[in-house]
Amino acid sequence: MAAVVEAKSITKAFGGVKAVDDVSVSVSAGEIHAVVGENGAGKSTLMRILSGIEFQDTGQVLVDGQEIEKSNPKAAIDAGISLVHQELSLVPEMTVAENIYLGGFPTKAGFTKQNEMKQFALETLKEIGVEVDIDERISRLSVALRQFVEIARAIARKPKVLILDEPTASLTPAETDYLLSMLERLAKQGLAIIYISHRIPEVFRLCHNVTILRDGKLVYVSEIKKTTPQEVINQMVGRELKMDLGSRRDAKPGEVVMSAKGIRAPGVNNISLDVRAGEIVGLGGLVGAGRTELVRAIIGADNKTAGNVTITLDGKEQQITSYMSAMRNGVAYVPEERRVDGLAMTMTVNDNVYLPNRKDLANNGIINPGKVAKVAKALADKVGLRPPEIKREAGQYSGGNQQKIVIAKWLHKNPKFVVLDEPTRGVDVGAKAEIHRLVKALADQGTAVLVVSSDLPELLELSDVIHVVRDGQIMGTLDGAKADEKQVMGLAAGENLVEA
Amino acid sequence: MTNKDPITQINAMAQTTEEPPKEKKGLGIEWFAENGIFIFTALLIVFAAIFVNGFASLQNITDVFHRAAPIGIVAVGMTFVVISGNYLDLSVVAQVATAAVIMIAVSNEYGYIPAILAAMLAAAVYGIINGVAVGYFKANAVIVTLSTTYIGLGMLRFFSGGSIFFGPPDGALAQFGAGKLGPIPYSAIVLVIMTIILAFVLNRTNFGFTVRSFGVNEKATRLGGTNTGMVIIGAFLVTAFSAMIAGFVLAAFSNTAVSAMSTGYDFEALAAIIVGGTSVFGGKGSVARTLLGVVFVSVLANVLVLLNIGFGFQQMALGLLIALAVTVDALARRAGKK
Amino acid sequence: MTQQESIKLGAQDLTTWGKVKLAIARRTEGRGVALLAIILVIAALTEPLVFTAYQITLGRVALVGLVALGLTVVILMGQLDLSVASTLAASGVILALIPDLTLGIIAALSFGLLVGVVNAFGVAIIGINSFIWTLGMLFFLRGLALVLSDEAPVKLTNADAGIAFGQPLIGPLTPRVLLFILVFILIQLFVSRVKAGREFYAVGGNPQAAKDAGIPVKLRIFTGFMISGFVSALAGVVNTLERTAADPIAGSTVLLASFAAAIIGGNYLKGGRGSIVGTLIGAAALGVLQVALTISGVQVPVQQIFIGLVLLLAVTTDPNNLRAVISSIRSARSSRVKIQEPAPESKNQPQVDG
Repeated sequence: MAAVVEAKSITKAFGGVKAVDDVSVSVSAGEIHAVVGENGAGKSTLMRILSGIEFQDTGQVLVDGQEIEKSNPKAAIDAGISLVHQELSLVPEMTVAENIYLGGFPTKAGFTKQNEMKQFALETLKEIGVEVDIDERISRLSVALRQFVEIARAIARKPKVLILDEPTASLTPAETDYLLSMLERLAKQGLAIIYISHRIPEVFRLCHNVTILRDGKLVYVSEIKKTTPQEVINQMVGRELKMDLGSRRDAKPGEVVMSAKGIRAPGVNNISLDVRAGEIVGLGGLVGAGRTELVRAIIGADNKTAGNVTITLDGKEQQITSYMSAMRNGVAYVPEERRVDGLAMTMTVNDNVYLPNRKDLANNGIINPGKVAKVAKALADKVGLRPPEIKREAGQYSGGNQQKIVIAKWLHKNPKFVVLDEPTRGVDVGAKAEIHRLVKALADQGTAVLVVSSDLPELLELSDVIHVVRDGQIMGTLDGAKADEKQVMGLAAGENLVEA
Repeated sequence: MTNKDPITQINAMAQTTEEPPKEKKGLGIEWFAENGIFIFTALLIVFAAIFVNGFASLQNITDVFHRAAPIGIVAVGMTFVVISGNYLDLSVVAQVATAAVIMIAVSNEYGYIPAILAAMLAAAVYGIINGVAVGYFKANAVIVTLSTTYIGLGMLRFFSGGSIFFGPPDGALAQFGAGKLGPIPYSAIVLVIMTIILAFVLNRTNFGFTVRSFGVNEKATRLGGTNTGMVIIGAFLVTAFSAMIAGFVLAAFSNTAVSAMSTGYDFEALAAIIVGGTSVFGGKGSVARTLLGVVFVSVLANVLVLLNIGFGFQQMALGLLIALAVTVDALARRAGKK
Repeated sequence: MTQQESIKLGAQDLTTWGKVKLAIARRTEGRGVALLAIILVIAALTEPLVFTAYQITLGRVALVGLVALGLTVVILMGQLDLSVASTLAASGVILALIPDLTLGIIAALSFGLLVGVVNAFGVAIIGINSFIWTLGMLFFLRGLALVLSDEAPVKLTNADAGIAFGQPLIGPLTPRVLLFILVFILIQLFVSRVKAGREFYAVGGNPQAAKDAGIPVKLRIFTGFMISGFVSALAGVVNTLERTAADPIAGSTVLLASFAAAIIGGNYLKGGRGSIVGTLIGAAALGVLQVALTISGVQVPVQQIFIGLVLLLAVTTDPNNLRAVISSIRSARSSRVKIQEPAPESKNQPQVDG
């Protein structure tokens, strides 16, 4: 069968690093084609190129043999490529019908043709078999419903190719089930579908073919019938089990320092976990599994709806009821988004280090610049900040050095419980190794450490215990010394290939 | 395949761009936004001294100081609110008049100490209401302070019956108001002292530090263990107490007080702050720069008066000045992001 | 495998009462209605004159409401226009200065449009926060009004036309009230039925999505500010005609009252949520309040206190702000309550508040 959409040798680099490297994919009418890979394998970038949001450095995108203009979302839509975004892009205070036709309301002399629009919307929704009140505002709908409205919007453009990027991330099993059968039906009607997912069972139920990307490269293409889930996971991870024993430390866990019980928060469904002194606990899982929400709820950075967190210091148990109480009890937090939550970019290194240590370094609330500079300098040296100029603005440093500043600012307090969320995302290799060294050193000093990481080698290298989170729940707990990447990926992707 | 290599590769793949440390550029819009005010102030003063009759007289300089002092005191205080990223406090108009009326009306009856205490109470109420609404209820500062302006002025007019209060001509307040050190009135000295104190508070205390860091990055400040609501209340309290002192100075100078005496202070103070180089986007700026802005705005106003230019034109000039200053600020920010 | 043909999500078959409840839950005007109801009840009990002298009340509602209607359009896009009151004053002066009435009206209204263009330029093109930019315009225009009028009220050349304008036109309705109704209908139609107007909600509610969907965001911002400027100028024209003179410092409470009306009417300051009907309700509440206070002999300063309080209340009790405050209080409390053992293996998806 002739390909409806064809991507030919697409390459895209961001600042010298190839996010997509010479990848070709072709999908024909009626085919559902899975594109899978780890976080950061280049799937989303590839799809953004296909839909004209991002432009490729080299390569072509063809629809029915016609080349599509680069970096033109409108051209891609007109040619028949419709993308269902991972992040929802609906307008909260508009109705379902209006969102389906956003930007392209049918009009007569400037007036929207309400009845026609509603009629269209109803038909589109009927086509995908979703019953929803089209006059309801999006802000009053559940996340799952919004996802279906997004799909309706993509369908309403009468596409030849429908691209879905992790569409089931926020759906219940029943809703997921429905979505998959809906896609099967659409494919039977001749639509070409590209389905991006980490969830292996879904891929095996739904898709005809699978393309696996790893580190931006195409590593594996197969018919689903001719492969197995085990093989797909092996190809995604692509590394044989390898444990650099020299890089693992010898953990000597002590008493429980942080104990969280029955945590519930948006995206977190009843999780309990403990972290001991001198222990590094890793939270594995896919992006959006609820790990960041979990750690933020634990330390009080975001509100939790239920649950109980205690920190035990020197035999004294303290309830953590707010972020302030967490800080008072020796909690340090290195957030996921360092530019948003971690650093004041236009302030100096000096100032950034000073921020959490104000009470300690000041005399009755009055800043002692000499003392601050001394402490900041010592910390900058300790974390290996380069160049170690504490009067420089944080925003002028590279990603890796910025992350070192975020870590440095907590070290002065000798924290008892440290939470690091994706500590090395967007960090160069050298800085990454240094950050790993720092984290291990912290644990060796007896600090309880909780690390969220989507980077499997990192997770395995650092963690003494790994909890794998999916759908806001802990799906399995692995011994960090024995676990391998496939086990983690299997639990994270929902394919229980190993006994947890 | 060695152990390290694939990991290293993966790492490299997962990375986004690793940008080298950026160097600050030399001349350009950013430099202009930083330093233009120095040049303009100098040019304005030189121009006025040469071409404007009566500018370079001792009497006129004293007049400039008299006029600049209360506005300047308001401006250095309000700098805290602007740096915290909350645009401005419109209610200073009501606050200054309230303090002035309380000072004269209460001191006439009960003496200075009760008057000062009553004015402090009023300032605290203003600061706390504005601060709680903005800091804890996350309400827009412009709208909150617009409403407290009217509530405050309404109450002042109601209780004062719109009448003018006069202090005794030989009272301590009047003497202070008329007092001078050479050509420099005491009020200008109060402005300088306030500037020094507030510059110290902003630059060298933990409270001032959190105001600055809140303006740069609210979330990082909160995650650095700051009760950010209290920081905002603090910023509005600083503004309120500065406005109170401005009210005292104003009452002392004229030895009268009336509810309409501080009309336009909100705007002139904002003009001084922005022209001085404090960014309306928050985070960037200083109290000393505001003082420079006060000099510029006051000299400009004085020149316009000496040139017999009417009040309406003065307002238009101030409006244009603000538009120009925020445009330069916005363009500099845009250039800085590139 | 049996394929499910459709999925039912959120669409319910409702009883009549259920439909009514749903219709109410969908509206954003709750606070405005509540305030209006309270004020009406109190007015009915203490000052029934408010209703018998409804001509005065309507006139007052129109005075407060006209500017607020234009302002609402800008607020829907997440912007503010603080220059409305000064635009009113300046355009009034322009009208009075031009001897020919028709020419004067055209000039005044064109001036309003021009102000809108300048406002939008600063916000959409230069990229300055609308609070600050329009605050600058507020003072610039106030100055302009003073300069043009030579700092004194300007008498309308054709005073007879002004007097005639103040007379009831249809039944008891004066042209002011009729114009107010007309503007209300036009803007209501615009934001609910016209494509460009509907898209204001998208510009305020999710600017990125609006841009991605091909909506010309900057053009919409220009349109919005021009509507606001035009309506403010229209209010200035109406004021000048009715009073047969233009006051260069007119409209000092207009700014406060129009913001209060728009915000208590449920218009969210960050944009994307609200309605013109809400503003009408807010304006009605404030208009009735003012008339009731005036009839009761309450002085003007006290009236200002009341309106200021309404605005302060409106801006601090926005549902979004309140929800955040309440949830952080609740979270702190829930932590202190000992919880029972976690239920095993519950498969519930996290519920997200709609």
